[in-house]
Amino acid sequence: MQVLKLEKKNLNEFLNKLRVSYELIAPIKKDIVRFENVENANDIYLEKNSYFPVKEYFFKKEETLFRFDGKKFVMPKPEKHSRVFFGLRKCDLNGIMHQDNVFMQQVHDPYYIAAREHSFLIGYHCNEAPSPYCFCGSLELKDYFDLMFYDRNEHFLVEIGSDKGLFLSNKYREFFLPSSHMISHEEKIIKNADRLENPDISQFYDNPGWKKGVDICLSCAACTALCPTCYCFEVHDEISTKDNKKSERKRGWSSCQVQEFTRVAGDHIFREDREQRFKHRIFHQLEYFKQKNGINLCVGCGRCIEVCPTRIDFVQIINDMSKDAKNKTA
Amino acid sequence: MQKTKLLENPYLPKPYKVLDFHRESSDTFTLTVDMRIKHEPGQFVQVSIPGFGESPISICSYSDKFVKLNVREVGNVTKALARLKKGDTIFLRGPYGKGYPMEKLKGNSFVIIGGGCGVAPLKGIIDYVEKERKDYRDILLFLGYRAPDDILFKKELEEWKQKYHINITVDKNAYGQFCYDAKEGFITDALKASDLNNENKVVFICGPPIMMKYVIEILKQKGFHDDQIFISAERLMYCALGVCCHCMIRGKFTCIDGPVFRYDEIKDFKND
Repeated sequence: MQVLKLEKKNLNEFLNKLRVSYELIAPIKKDIVRFENVENANDIYLEKNSYFPVKEYFFKKEETLFRFDGKKFVMPKPEKHSRVFFGLRKCDLNGIMHQDNVFMQQVHDPYYIAAREHSFLIGYHCNEAPSPYCFCGSLELKDYFDLMFYDRNEHFLVEIGSDKGLFLSNKYREFFLPSSHMISHEEKIIKNADRLENPDISQFYDNPGWKKGVDICLSCAACTALCPTCYCFEVHDEISTKDNKKSERKRGWSSCQVQEFTRVAGDHIFREDREQRFKHRIFHQLEYFKQKNGINLCVGCGRCIEVCPTRIDFVQIINDMSKDAKNKTA
Repeated sequence: MQKTKLLENPYLPKPYKVLDFHRESSDTFTLTVDMRIKHEPGQFVQVSIPGFGESPISICSYSDKFVKLNVREVGNVTKALARLKKGDTIFLRGPYGKGYPMEKLKGNSFVIIGGGCGVAPLKGIIDYVEKERKDYRDILLFLGYRAPDDILFKKELEEWKQKYHINITVDKNAYGQFCYDAKEGFITDALKASDLNNENKVVFICGPPIMMKYVIEILKQKGFHDDQIFISAERLMYCALGVCCHCMIRGKFTCIDGPVFRYDEIKDFKND
């Protein structure tokens, strides 16, 4: 891939220039770090990864699928955004890749496509794991970006990853210097991010290790809300309070960690206990998605562990099970 | 390009006319809808009542002129469906899912085992066989209900009786009602008592999870192999497109890999 160079002192000017033509969205630190509209490039915070992933911009927390006007379902006109996202970590970019796969390849989800298709993704590569919970190095993450910024003291190396990235680098060519540097595989390795010893959990379904770890789960569903890849949703109708002939069909995020997720008419719940539900989440992330798509869904950002109020660390649980299995065979 | 993408909205339900509303029992009814589609027995459609929501309902007929939906009033949407009349508009999308592999099963006899409203999708098989009679052999029916009033498709039963071998059980016949030659007891009792063998036979089961579990146990005792048994799974479902993940059983989606599964595909899945 073609590599360019951008002097660090020019970064803010470049970003402020971007703001003239696009909505610029980047991590900003207030009480927590989250992706927000940038008013001033000085506010951008790159020390740590954002608390919330960026997925809410594409796969919305709640959105209207249809308005029912009394006769037919009508899809609301999608808002058009030309947005540049800056400061996305490799894990979040891979999260977007998975959701692109689901909502743009597996189905043509017009809502996701409308929110996603006019967006540019500019990554910021971690030289070292920004959080002690990171484990992206244990999983095979892919290069998925329009531009990727590699932090090199005085300057950034900027790798172009797509036609959109090439377009941006041409449009703002006054900021970029040519570079003969090729970014090697070693340079893309993120240090201290390989806590998960073996992501293959196919043999662990009936392992008693799950129960031990999950006994303290509160089913609060924070893990799925903050996951950059979780894409489950529910659909419900809301009747207009003014005219009972009119209604809206909405969809919103839903979590496999609550009983309602599998509750059917007649009040039967298929995954009734927490252990089953927890296992389902981890197996979807590390096993089921891989069976269908050939790649792990989990991107190793560690948010689900960091935000868990009882600090359930599934990486540790899996590591313990791997260790047990090794001891048994030895 | 962008426009065509937006037009193909996979979540959009389309309006159809209700041709007939027929009450089957105190809490079930059959809707006939003016939907002309090609489908397989065992597939389902997503039925919408605006303001109430959307529900997956299996198609219980086999015809290219209409679609019949047998519904039990248990939730929001199904209770709203019960208020429909002939001539009303209903919103559907589909058909979805994998149905029964009828083509592959030519030349077999069928054993059809249904519990309660689980009989609905199985009726699609009978309708199919009636159309393609020469390709299939006998049909044996084991139908179980809670009470005589719950017996579905009473009109059709009279016809089936002439042609097929039928066993009906009711859990309890409290008032000694007339009940279509049904025996009191569980469907498993009727199954145990029968002289069923596995020769050239395929079994279709649909019913509550607990019934399916015990029925399969008995079938195994009678010598049936896992790949002779087909079951219909039921899960909570929203998109029916393999995206929303609610209907996932281990790695499989009920909506696109099922709802009909060959038993050996999912036998280790228990209740997950």
